[in-house]
Amino acid sequence: MSIIEAKLNGIASQTGKVKIIVAAIILIIMGTLPFWGSGYMTNVFLLIFLYMSIGMMWNLLSGYAGLTSLGQQAFIGIGGYSVAVLTQVYGLSLIWGFAVGSVVGVVFALVISMPIFKMNGAYFTIGTWIIAEALYIFFVKWEFVNYGIGYPITAAYGIPMWGLYLASFIVGIGSIVIVTLLLKSRLGLTLMAMRDDSGAAEVRGVKLYRTKLICYLIAAFWVTITGCLLFLNQAYIVPSSAFTIDWTIACVFIVIIGGIGTIEGPIVGAVIYVFLRQILYGFPGISNIILGIIAIIIIIVAPKGIMGYLNNKFNLDIFSIRRRIKR
Amino acid sequence: MDPILKVEDLAISFGNNNVLKNVNFELYDNEILGIIGPNGAGKTVLLNILTGTLKPTSGRVTFMGKDILGVRIDERARLGFGRTFQVPRSFENMTAYENVMASAICGGQTTQREAAKRAEEILEFIGLEDKALVLAGSLKLLDKKRLEIGIALAPHPKVLMFDEVAGGLTESEISNILDIVKSLKIHGYSIIWIEHVIQTMLNGTDRVLLLADGYDIICDLPQIVLDSNEVEKVYLGVRKK
Repeated sequence: MSIIEAKLNGIASQTGKVKIIVAAIILIIMGTLPFWGSGYMTNVFLLIFLYMSIGMMWNLLSGYAGLTSLGQQAFIGIGGYSVAVLTQVYGLSLIWGFAVGSVVGVVFALVISMPIFKMNGAYFTIGTWIIAEALYIFFVKWEFVNYGIGYPITAAYGIPMWGLYLASFIVGIGSIVIVTLLLKSRLGLTLMAMRDDSGAAEVRGVKLYRTKLICYLIAAFWVTITGCLLFLNQAYIVPSSAFTIDWTIACVFIVIIGGIGTIEGPIVGAVIYVFLRQILYGFPGISNIILGIIAIIIIIVAPKGIMGYLNNKFNLDIFSIRRRIKR
Repeated sequence: MDPILKVEDLAISFGNNNVLKNVNFELYDNEILGIIGPNGAGKTVLLNILTGTLKPTSGRVTFMGKDILGVRIDERARLGFGRTFQVPRSFENMTAYENVMASAICGGQTTQREAAKRAEEILEFIGLEDKALVLAGSLKLLDKKRLEIGIALAPHPKVLMFDEVAGGLTESEISNILDIVKSLKIHGYSIIWIEHVIQTMLNGTDRVLLLADGYDIICDLPQIVLDSNEVEKVYLGVRKK
């Protein structure tokens, strides 16, 4: 090995160490936020982690697997209602809400995958949306879930703020870990190939259906869990808040401005989105218009999103997804 | 000797346009079969049928004794079909190294470790080892064409199909590609090679098939086909006296 290569390897292992130290510092600061930060800051970062989680999963679907869904709110609603019904109606503990919710979410995903995976591109997108809308109408007319009146989730009052925050922190960081591990695995190269050219990937032997289904089920599971937490935070659920397309619109905004098909994108996107929403509370009625204008400007200036632009410009590889040649 | 690939009575039409009417040919083990024909003769369509992206109207394709027309696209890759695309379709946001690895994993069902080893071998073979960590999207045309060959080779295919790998290259670049193809033959691959560059067909193939008007017009040794009346008629529209 030449001296230059030895030096380069030295630098690479050094940046690896720096990365671990920086990550540890960020995790410690964020993980202990409720114990030193204000209540307002804790609540803002709680939302950032939850939105990061749903954005991350939407990015896995749309950015990698080519499954642009407008129906992720179906899983958020299923999660929220599982917690509400099991704790309010059956008086069970919260853990049951999470457990039953995630099973129902994954089974529901498996069942609807059969018809909607037969649709491609825009038809898939419309199909997912229609299913989520149908679910909304069904819940409004379903006695078991108290029609359109919904439920208060009183179990939420028993959780301290730091508890809810830590759960959201784990779900948010967990979403990053899941996607990073997925991309580093054998399946990761398949997913990146599908992202770049799914037709060519199939000719190279990629099992498109199977790979897409794996991603869809992972996303369903994690979004349902996130949905449980989102509604514990709201402490009240009605069909119109559970199954609103606003959830998925938030995902789209987060991923597009952050950078689709990158791991860093949804993280940056979620931070920007939640902070913008805080500012825009002062402009009721036109807040969505302002968000839309911001999205349009970013798409024009940096079509691949903020992190897509920065990754290309500075050749970044923050999560070390790139395969390196080992000597 | 049984052919490794046999195409019988193959026909395909798009609406009223009968692109292939009746095509028959065989590819033998360790043979390089060149396919020539005017623009629009259906050469790429033929490759697309073989790899499964298009379904023929009628006909039969037998690969190692098995009818493969009902086999899915990705399964054909795993059975042993490797191809290049006329306009390179490497995965542009992945490095050259990752491109070859991905193909080895998907088509060759290998582990990441095996795929990494294979990728290193292949990048050295196609002369891209110094660009291994460059994004495929930022490679020059010659390097993209080389990478196409590398991606196709990664899963140890039984039949390689090249769709104009020499198209758009300079003379010295063409001889570069020709060297790669010749050493592939030594390594035992069977190859179907579509090309417009006649020089490559003369020097690089064992037999040449002329495809025109939807039929396999003539299939013989390269020199015989290129000197034939049929080639002259198809390309120049005149017949030798």
